[in-house]
Amino acid sequence: MFWPLRLGSIIAAIAACFLIQAATVHFVDDYGQRLVTLAALYVTLAVSLNLINGITGQFSIGHAAFYMVGAYFTGFLSIKYFEAYSHQVGGPIVWLILMMVAGALGAMLAGFVVGLPSLRLRGDYLAIVTLGFGEILRIIVQNQESLGGAQALANIPRVKALWLVWLLAFICVAVCRNLLKTARGLTFVAVREDEVASAAMGVNVTKVKVTAFMVGAAFAGAAGALLAHYEGYITPQTFAMDVSFIILTMVVLGGTGSITGSIFSAMFLSYLPEYLRSLKAPDGGTLYVSGATILQWLIAIFLAVAITRFISRSAQFPLGKRIAGYVATLLGAFVIGKILGFILNLVHPLAALLVDAGQLRMVIFAVALIAIMLIRPQGVFAHHEFSWGWLRQLFRRKNRPTTAVSS
Amino acid sequence: MSLLKLAGVTIRFGGLVAVNDVSFDINPGQLFGLIGPNGAGKTTCFNMVTGVYKPSSGVISFDDRVITGTPANRVAALGIARTFQNIRLYPALSVLENVVVGGFLRHKTSLFSSLAYLPSAINETDLMKADAMELLRVLDLESVANVRSADLPYGKQRRLEIARAMATKPKLLLLDEPAAGMNPNEKVDLMNAVKRLRDDHGKTVLVIEHDMRFVMNLCEQIFVLDHGEEIAQGPPEQIRNDPKVIAAYLGTPV
Repeated sequence: MFWPLRLGSIIAAIAACFLIQAATVHFVDDYGQRLVTLAALYVTLAVSLNLINGITGQFSIGHAAFYMVGAYFTGFLSIKYFEAYSHQVGGPIVWLILMMVAGALGAMLAGFVVGLPSLRLRGDYLAIVTLGFGEILRIIVQNQESLGGAQALANIPRVKALWLVWLLAFICVAVCRNLLKTARGLTFVAVREDEVASAAMGVNVTKVKVTAFMVGAAFAGAAGALLAHYEGYITPQTFAMDVSFIILTMVVLGGTGSITGSIFSAMFLSYLPEYLRSLKAPDGGTLYVSGATILQWLIAIFLAVAITRFISRSAQFPLGKRIAGYVATLLGAFVIGKILGFILNLVHPLAALLVDAGQLRMVIFAVALIAIMLIRPQGVFAHHEFSWGWLRQLFRRKNRPTTAVSS
Repeated sequence: MSLLKLAGVTIRFGGLVAVNDVSFDINPGQLFGLIGPNGAGKTTCFNMVTGVYKPSSGVISFDDRVITGTPANRVAALGIARTFQNIRLYPALSVLENVVVGGFLRHKTSLFSSLAYLPSAINETDLMKADAMELLRVLDLESVANVRSADLPYGKQRRLEIARAMATKPKLLLLDEPAAGMNPNEKVDLMNAVKRLRDDHGKTVLVIEHDMRFVMNLCEQIFVLDHGEEIAQGPPEQIRNDPKVIAAYLGTPV
């Protein structure tokens, strides 16, 4: 009974990926397809970083380095050998799959290299080492003429396979989920929770950490391979520090340790800046906003956050009342914002100050992040995972007995 | 033949000699007590035996094998399990999962089968959960198996630590102040539980404890440390009347 089920779910996953590809190609333009591709890559990156950061508790902020290793390694291989060998192995798609594996192996090696010396370090110290590692690798690449130097590694054969990008994301999620369901996965969590106790229970802490780094890096490397063959060119700037931080933000925002959280926040955060980029005036020109408008919304958001924090801290409210509270808060903040806007627009300097909305893209992004983290510091999903049972329980919170058991 | 043997074990932290020239033997099946005032070096002894610290000099052997300086996880694999003075459970994991981690030493399936969730990994996980459940039954924690360990009351957390240590199937169990913070009834329960571990499960137990009555009633052999040095060793009756021990605990008459 096991294998038919397993085979069925694999086929279902592949079918779903082709469905996503078909739907994307059918409904959105090239730019939209690019967003869908990048969303899947970011899901892979966030979920794989979550394995290292969230599940195993090793604070790594150099994930872009593994992404880069996969991209450059396979980009380089493809430039050299794609023409000669891609048809012998069975076409560009098979070649791309091979490149994914190669990228994964290359990044895995890098993960091993970072994992080993990092074992003695914890918390902030490990974070600094991984950050440094990422930057060192990037600068090395930047100075290699054979890898395109600071310009770009261009002319990588482009192979479009949106379904494969999503399949990688599916596999990454499945692997992390699988791991957590087994006894071995519990030792990863155990290392996060208490290293000393884990060692005393016979868990090889070193091995667990290095394994987490290697598996996480492998997925980032495979994602890098797909990126290189999707874009056709890659530059060291594609993998700069801010990419590492965006991936980290995805993990933290979704709820450190929660795979579900990583998936949703990866999709949300990879889409949000692009959506903000497309903000245009109704006539298609540059959208200008006045200082008064900016101030009005900042104050409204501040109010909304403060009230929401109050509501979410009152745990005794049942979910229905809480949701009603949130909706009322949002509406209230909107109305207050509008009223404030009317008053603020009377202040001449504020009304006259015009800012290009496109310039505000990252500011809005940052404000959104700060607001979410203030409302829910433990991340949107906290440590929860999606499951049907969880969904049912969520709506029955009122009747649920408290978890604490008295002796 | 002794199960655990400490011979001239000394450890220095900089200029401080925390444990000085300590030697004792624990025979298989013994209930051995390690007592002494605060700061005497009892937990440091534990940490040296379990591989957290490496002694500056001296030899520790277990089962006729020298284990001085062996890493903690290898020591656990050889058959020494411990609990901690300040409870060190995995708060986010359930009671059952905590115990499953203790059983990981005997885990055989490969990393790949875990990542791919192959039948071998599933079966082994199920078996480990069944084993863990069995242990929870022994320590009377069955009813809270699926509660997050952080949500347990203190006494049960202590018992859970013992269950987790037992899950490694040790030959020697090291209990670091297991009765600390317990009320008299809980202490009696614990004492009976520890006795059962020896009588029914054949464990050798080394216990650090402050509560004199607890130690005197439980242990067959007692070792007294003060300022890192041995001041007495012997059966409870002898320790009870030893003037040095009385002085260490109650002070000397002026």
